[in-house]
Amino acid sequence: MKLTTARICQFIFLALFLILFVQTEYRGRDDINAAVNSFFRADPLVLFSYLLAAKSWSWLLFPATLMTVATLVLGRFFCGWICPLGTILDLVTSKIRKTTPLKALKGNFKYWLLLPLLSASLFNINLSGLLDPIAILLRAMTFLLYPVLGLVSREGWVGLYRIIGERRDTLAPAYSLIRDNLLPFRDTLYPLALLSTAILLGIIALERFETRNWCRNICPLGTLLGWLARFSPFSRVPQALCSDCGQCRQLCPTSFDQDVLRKEECVLCMECLQGCPHERISFRSSLKLKGGGPLLPERRVLLGGMAGGLLLALPIRFRYPEKQSRLLRPPGVRNEDDFLKKCVRCGECMKVCLKNALYPAAYQAGLEGIYTPLLIPRLGYCEYNCTLCGQVCPTGAIPSLPVETKQREVIGKAVFDKNHCLPFARKIDCIVCEEHCPIPEKAIRSREVQVMGLDGLVRTVKEPYVVEEICNGCGICENVCPLETKAGIEVFAVKNHTPISPSTVGQEAKESSIYH
Amino acid sequence: MDRRTFIKATGTALLLAPTLMKEALAAREHSLVAVAEGGDYAAITRKAIIAVGGMKRFVKPGDVVVVKPNMGWDRSVKFAANTHPLVVRAVVEECLAAGAKKVKVFDNTCNDSRRCYVNSGIEGALKGMKGVECKHIETERFRNVALNGTFLKEWELYDEVLLADVYINVPVAKHHGLSKLTLGLKNIMGIMGGNRGYIHRNLDTALADVNAHVKSHLTIIDATRILTAHGPQGGSIADVRVLNKVIASTDIVAADAYATTLFGMKPSDIPVTVAAYKRGLGEMNLDKIKVVRA
Repeated sequence: MKLTTARICQFIFLALFLILFVQTEYRGRDDINAAVNSFFRADPLVLFSYLLAAKSWSWLLFPATLMTVATLVLGRFFCGWICPLGTILDLVTSKIRKTTPLKALKGNFKYWLLLPLLSASLFNINLSGLLDPIAILLRAMTFLLYPVLGLVSREGWVGLYRIIGERRDTLAPAYSLIRDNLLPFRDTLYPLALLSTAILLGIIALERFETRNWCRNICPLGTLLGWLARFSPFSRVPQALCSDCGQCRQLCPTSFDQDVLRKEECVLCMECLQGCPHERISFRSSLKLKGGGPLLPERRVLLGGMAGGLLLALPIRFRYPEKQSRLLRPPGVRNEDDFLKKCVRCGECMKVCLKNALYPAAYQAGLEGIYTPLLIPRLGYCEYNCTLCGQVCPTGAIPSLPVETKQREVIGKAVFDKNHCLPFARKIDCIVCEEHCPIPEKAIRSREVQVMGLDGLVRTVKEPYVVEEICNGCGICENVCPLETKAGIEVFAVKNHTPISPSTVGQEAKESSIYH
Repeated sequence: MDRRTFIKATGTALLLAPTLMKEALAAREHSLVAVAEGGDYAAITRKAIIAVGGMKRFVKPGDVVVVKPNMGWDRSVKFAANTHPLVVRAVVEECLAAGAKKVKVFDNTCNDSRRCYVNSGIEGALKGMKGVECKHIETERFRNVALNGTFLKEWELYDEVLLADVYINVPVAKHHGLSKLTLGLKNIMGIMGGNRGYIHRNLDTALADVNAHVKSHLTIIDATRILTAHGPQGGSIADVRVLNKVIASTDIVAADAYATTLFGMKPSDIPVTVAAYKRGLGEMNLDKIKVVRA
């Protein structure tokens, strides 16, 4: 592999991607300045599907607008210079022996993917994140590869303790350096981890048929960028293979499988320019030269794709109602439909979540909600003073809110299950939930009552209750409930997400003070 | 009794006398509680320590010391949910000055430990100090310990405490929904692992069980500001009272008993204190506790 300018640029962006990925975590400060969301905010596929679905503008996606304009001018450079998944494919492809290209992926296959995705967006189902290359890469890393890295390192460190005990402390500084700067803080297992990784591995396996198979035949982002690139005034000259040479067919990673360069597939890697034995090749601005084929795909594909999107958009909206009662979204999400229009399912909120409360929905939110974030209080709760998920969300599906505002956003409401909760079911003291409730005036309180214990003796027990008006559904009560398996208090989804009002909170403060 | 037996008995008595006297004195001294007051929290912490005999009495050169503050909550200093960082730092400095080889500061937190360590101000206050460790809990270090208590037969305790030469308990004085107050005796929960919520069903006995096994050589209660309601994590300035006091004692029950009075309550109102007293872990009767103003 020659170290061309494009290659160096690719490596820089891959490194940037990895650094930002690791940075997308709480590292001692309330704010994350730079996160891996930058890649999504500069992603035209995210931009187009957002505009079509939400039918509104967000300044968060301004970089993607710039990228769109840059592609219109320069061509499909993103794929050859920036895309971290493309870089990974370039790195591994030489190790994979090639057979013949897959016929089924040729022709208009990619349009049959892109068009239904965009048209479904128009019908309010934003599924582009499912096939967005950066989202695919990020999900595989978040849900499996990064946890595996953490688990292996930590198990090694723990194993060392089992062998040498306290003496391990001499190595502690080196380990803590790695732990504090590279490893995830705690080990988390995610649903859909295998599927997410299988998709990434599948894309790599496609290299068996031809180089950049995914990029040129499937990737909806690449297809969109390729389509934009057709308007670019810059073109490679000559457009076709030279009759006396044909070296380009070997040098080109994407396009020259026919004899003519297909402009929508050229990723501007400049391999041909640098490898040409005759120095005949140049990229220059010329309005006359056009890439092969019409500007729009055939009408059949266009209409079929649009119709496909509509057909897709309706049936996958089905949801089992009983799952909805526990469908808890990250803080600040007030409207499920609005959320689904904006969420790109990139997994960043789940990566950054301080208490690992967020997990990708597998079936809970129906087919339409696959990979969208879901708060599972028994596994983790929403930390009262934390606002990280809103900060890293690339589209604002989870709004970025000041901490005082976020604390009043309602995720759900806690409800006691008196058949399980100890003071009710077993007539003994507990109220761990009250202790942990972060609302300064306590959304969980208790009162002393005389009850007959299970042994027949009358005793005083503290019975907890929820003050629903000031419960924000953070889920810490359910998380810390000392009952095994099922908790005695659970957070349920609500339709009304009106924030807790600060004034109610203030008034409640006085009455239950023990200090008079 | 023949002469030989008499001489033997007298000799033994004479030999043992100093030890017996010391024991008797120590028992009296146990109920000494030092209270220092003032706006300079580091200074009053030092004064309180000096009044109970100085740190050299507890920490010998080369010792490994665990200083266990309460930093269980993601609350900033002003909310009185965690021990004041200046108090913790002063205690740590005294340990180092007494010749401690290493001082370890940690807590098994309730909120996310990274946020607790940062937001309590304690991690920051100890940053860069030589010979001081402020590490997060590593779960593999919990060891199942036979407590043979009344309620807890065994429980997971943190090995750094079990292996330390000196254990200094530095709680903050605050309200608690279940135990009314949380002071020194309850601060021990921060060295416990496992499903800690389980012990809430018999908290008083459980805490006596653990405190009987892990003795606090010195208890320093931070009452620079106290949380009077909505404990143990509070979150509202209206619930905080500034008292500018630090309390020190070798008797954890006596320290707790005295601190209870700051809330306008009696030691007998606090079941945790009563259970520990009945277990023989210290003195809770205020008239048998000698309070020294440092």
